[in-house]
Formats: sequence, structure tokens, C-alpha cells
Amino acid sequence: MILRYDGTFAGFLTAVALARERGVEPEAIIDQQPEQQALFAAVEEVATDRQRAAAFYGLLRRTLTPGALHTFRLAFRAAEPGKELLLFHFLQLGVVVGQQLDGMLAHERVVPVWKLARAVGREAHRYKGLVRFQHLDGDIWYAAIEPEHRILPLVAPHFADRFADQRWIIHDPRRGEAIIFDPSRRTWTDAELEVTGPLQLSNGERLFRDLWQRYFDRLAIEERRNPELQRQHLPLKHRRHLPEFDR
Amino acid sequence: MAEPTLAEKLEILADGAKYDVSCASSGSSRKGKGGIGNAAQCGICHSWTADGRCVSLLKILLTNVCIYDCAYCVNRRSNDIRRVMLTPAEVAELTIGFYRRNAIEGLFLSTGVIRNPDYTMELLIEATRQLREEYRFNGYIHVKVVPGADLALVERLGRHADRVSINMELPSRESLALLAPDKSRESIVGPMKRVGELIVQTREERKVSRKMPPFAPAGQSTQLIVGASGETDLQIISLAAGLYGRLSLKRVYYSAFISVNRDERLPAVVGTPPLAREHRLYQADWLMRYYGFAAGELLDEERPNLDLSLDPKAGWALRNLHLFPVEVNRADYEALLRVPGIGVRSAQRIVLARRGSHLSLDDLPRLGVVMKRARYFITARGRFAADLTPDAAGLRLRLTEKPLRRERWSQPSLFDGGAGMDIRSTITGEL
Ligand code: SF4
Repeated sequence: MILRYDGTFAGFLTAVALARERGVEPEAIIDQQPEQQALFAAVEEVATDRQRAAAFYGLLRRTLTPGALHTFRLAFRAAEPGKELLLFHFLQLGVVVGQQLDGMLAHERVVPVWKLARAVGREAHRYKGLVRFQHLDGDIWYAAIEPEHRILPLVAPHFADRFADQRWIIHDPRRGEAIIFDPSRRTWTDAELEVTGPLQLSNGERLFRDLWQRYFDRLAIEERRNPELQRQHLPLKHRRHLPEFDR
Repeated sequence: MAEPTLAEKLEILADGAKYDVSCASSGSSRKGKGGIGNAAQCGICHSWTADGRCVSLLKILLTNVCIYDCAYCVNRRSNDIRRVMLTPAEVAELTIGFYRRNAIEGLFLSTGVIRNPDYTMELLIEATRQLREEYRFNGYIHVKVVPGADLALVERLGRHADRVSINMELPSRESLALLAPDKSRESIVGPMKRVGELIVQTREERKVSRKMPPFAPAGQSTQLIVGASGETDLQIISLAAGLYGRLSLKRVYYSAFISVNRDERLPAVVGTPPLAREHRLYQADWLMRYYGFAAGELLDEERPNLDLSLDPKAGWALRNLHLFPVEVNRADYEALLRVPGIGVRSAQRIVLARRGSHLSLDDLPRLGVVMKRARYFITARGRFAADLTPDAAGLRLRLTEKPLRRERWSQPSLFDGGAGMDIRSTITGEL
């Protein structure tokens, strides 16, 4: 059996809860069109059921340590084909062994999930520095990022705390997703977003862009010049939305 | 000459501050509390320069005017360079402008000495006061204390700052007298002591009342220039150990000497600065702060300098082969930490993982152990991973880092890691 869900966290929890209730091992849990050969297996559509998802999540909270739960949540954000089945097996084990899961770092069902979580966590941490806002007309602070994993909800709390008095948007244009922060209510919401025309930068934005670029150019110490090291820390793919590399 | 524009001033004053290596923005954690900004407990890098160093703070001088004449410094009085100054308001405005764009984690403000130390301090205080009080800025601020300043001013400055630092620059009194004749050892150590006292005292007071304003909650640091004077690594490391121990400094930074002036008191430096030595010093420093090593275990009178081709932990292990191999299922945490190839994180994971199961050799790489180095020093379930047990000389050969790639000579440890944090080993010198 193959389960197909809508790609959301709640949808995935619904699918896992469903499989557990029926006591079946799915061959795959997917959020896209199944591949050709898989068509022979039965694909079952899972309708996201928020109540069921919440109930199952409650069970996880009672069973797992906060650390294991955190690992699970991070790993779910990974852009990794087949991650769902890894997570399914991780949870199956977790529900059985409970708090012990933390000590099973070398277990074959734990290792891959833990690796994914680390990759996602690391990327989310990196993006705390690589989100770069531009000030737009209308007093909106806009940032575009193109992360490998779906980290928007993971960085949101950081920016909600840091820029609590700004109206800001962080946009993942490749996925067409965004988070939008409303300072009057101090909350952020998910949204679908597409930017069609050029951005209307504010006047101050041009000045600060110029200042930042000039500042950045002055920072490198000639005697220590080392572009490979720079590339190692900041691969080219991360530079597209950074003003200091965009001239 | 025409009045300099803000952009020109920024360029000149960034130039003057860039040799200061202390750029970490960590160790202070503050929630946004109205106003703008917060501070993250571990450092956040926002970009990397062409020399591969992390950019996390707006690092500038208030002014490059200076009444002093330190031999190694671009801004010294006797250099014929263009002098400019930012007003405190301009410093605050630039900081906020970059911060709102999330280009920086905060401000690192240094300065030349204008008129006298106290006058300079007043200007620094005003810049930080505007940020904290007028902009209600909660981001990170690291600011320099001017050597020789009135201690009351030192206190006022530290009330606004997350971290303060007073650069020692030269590891001995003699070198200081030779190369920085206007700054005495006392004018540096005096304020350092006072800062240390205030940090401790304020921490205590804040336990009683949260209303007490914090004082440099991220602690104080200093910087030492390496290679401008003749001190050995043993002298440098012992000095650092003393600063950590007696003056409870949070960090000591090492900066490979870069020649910016022609001056016969300075060594002639050809080619690149002594980055390999700087790197080894950071590793040794790291071993003292996180691995429980004492300075005397790493170096002694007979070998006063760090081995450039061998990391200091491997060097220590080779001199203490009688303590190895250790059994990973039994050794205590401290002993694990001393195994080459096992870092803080892998040691923690071993301790955690062995509660659940008896670890085998195959489990270790998954826990982050670098077997290439560790194999000669550990057993798991009594089994030894190396093909043979070479003697010290043979081992040394195997552990030598043959022509180390240049990019490894990076300034390590841009994060002040605390236990349990994700310390990135490639740039931290973690061993
Ligand atoms: S006091 Fe500071 S700025 Fe002035 S010359 Fe000495 S090192 Fe340079």
C-alpha cells in the first residue's frame, strides 16, 4: 500500500496514524504523483484530518522526549525523497521504546532521521544569517531565500522575536511559499506568494545597499585572501539574494 | 580637502578596524523586549569576506585619529593617512540600518584615542547609549575600552555593552614598552581587573534584583598579536591561562602579525602572516577551555613552541601513550575527551549512546568519532581498530598533517561554544 498525503505536517501525521490503526506497513508515503512502477501498487489518498493528527501528536508528546520530538519535526522539513518512510520507522520504534530512543543514537532506524534533522537544523541556523531584508515602499521588509529544505517555519520564531516591530515577509520563491509577519498582532502566517514585477525599493534602501557593499569590500584582509575558504563557508548557491554579491 | 561623506568615513573606519579578530557575537542571549533586536546565544554568521572570515558584526572605528604611536598600528600618530570621525549618532544610525536588513548581528566598536582616553570613552558611551536608549536596540554590542580610561567611565560603558574588551596586543611587558610605548601594562590590566570585578558583582546583584542593569553579560575578551615580538608559544599560552583563570576572561584571540608599517622595531615579514602558528594557538586555547588541559600539559620549557605539523592534542597523546588505549564503553567523559579524533560532541554522544547499548567499533564513526585519528588510541568491546600498534615515532608519522591545505589556516572558533551547542568543527579547531 502506498499512502499519499498533502505534504503538510498534519497530513503526514494523519497518514502515520492511519497506518498504525490498521496495523499495516506502507510501502511508501508520498506527497506527489507516484512513480510509474509504483502504479501497480494501490495508492490511497489520505485526507488530512487535523483532529486525528493532533491526537497522534499528543501521543508522541507523551511518549518521546522533547529532544526526539524535535529531531522528528526537523527531519520532516528535509527535502529528501523517501524521508516519510524513514520517519514512519523512527516513530514506530519510538512508540515502542519511548524515552529510551534518545540513547539509541547508533540504531539503524535512528541514524538516518537524526542525520536529516541535523542537516535541516544546520540549514535553518545558517539562514538566520542569510535572510537579507530589503526595505520596500510602503514600509515592508522583504527577503527572498532559496533553501534546500523547507525551513521557513523553523526560522520564523527567530525573526518574529528579532524584528517584532517591522512588517516583514520571508519568501521562498522556488516553492512559492512565504511567511508574513504582522507586528500589530505579533504573529506570522503562512502564505502562497509570487512576485511578478520588480520590487519597489524605498529611498533609504538604495543608500544602505551602497553603504553595505562598500563596507563589505573593505573587510577582507589582502594578506589573508582565500577565496576557496570563502566558497567553502558560503557556496555560490547561497549568494544570489545577498546584496554584497549582487552588483 | 572636501568634507568626507558618510560612505567614505565608513570605508576608512572599516579599514582601520578589520585587523581586530574578535568578531564572535555569542555568549549573550536576549529576547526582543520591545524595540528592535535580540541576541542569539550562539553566533550567527551573516556573510563571509574574500579572506574567508565570517561577518557577523558591523566592525568599525569611531575614529582613526590617534594620539598614540604603536609600532604595529595603521592608525598611529606618525602615519600620514586621512583621518575621519563618525559622530555617535552616525554610528547608531549605521548600526540600526544594517541591523534592520539583517546584515549584521550587532556592533563592534573600536577606536583610536582622540584628545585623551576619557574624552574618547565619553564618545563611545554616547554612541552605545543612543542605541540602547533611543533606538531601544537589543542586539549585540561589543565595545573597546580605551586603555588608561577612568574606571567610572569603564563602568558606564559596560552597562550598555554585551561584551567589552581591552586589547593586550603584546604578550609581555618588554614588548609592550618597545612597540606600544604610550600604553603601559597597568593601563591595560587595571581596567581589565575592574571589568572582571564588575561582571562578577553585577551577576550577583542581578540574582537578587533583575532591575539591576547588566554589565557586559557576554564577558570580556582580549587580543594578542602573534609574531610581532619574540615570545614563545609557552609564554603566550601561559598568559592566556592566567587571563582565563585569574581575570576570568571569556576569550583570548590570537592574531597573526600583519605588517602594515615600516618600522625597524618590527620583524620583517615576507609573504603570508604566521597563520599556521595562529591556528595551533587557537587549538591549544580550545583544549584549555573545553577539554580540561592545563598549559603545562601542552608545552614546557624544553618544548616551548607548538608543533606546526601536529595538532596539540595528538602531540599530548603521543607523549602520554601509557594512558592509552581507552575502552570507549568504560572510559569516563574526561578521558574520552583526551582521545585524538574525539571532540566534545562525539564524547557526549558516546556517553549517551553507551547507556542504550554496548558500543562496537562500527558504531563510533556514526557518533562522529574521526577513526583515522582515534583508531590508535581506543578499543571498543576490547577490540582495537588499528592494524598494528606502532611506536610513538611511527604514530607521529601517521598523525602528522602533511602539507596542510591553506584553507585550514582559518581563524577558528568564531563561535563561543557552550556545552551541547552545535559547534562546527571545521572552523572551530575542535580536535
Ligand atoms: S592606541 Fe590603538 S589606535 Fe592608537 S596607535 Fe595604538 S593601537 Fe593604534
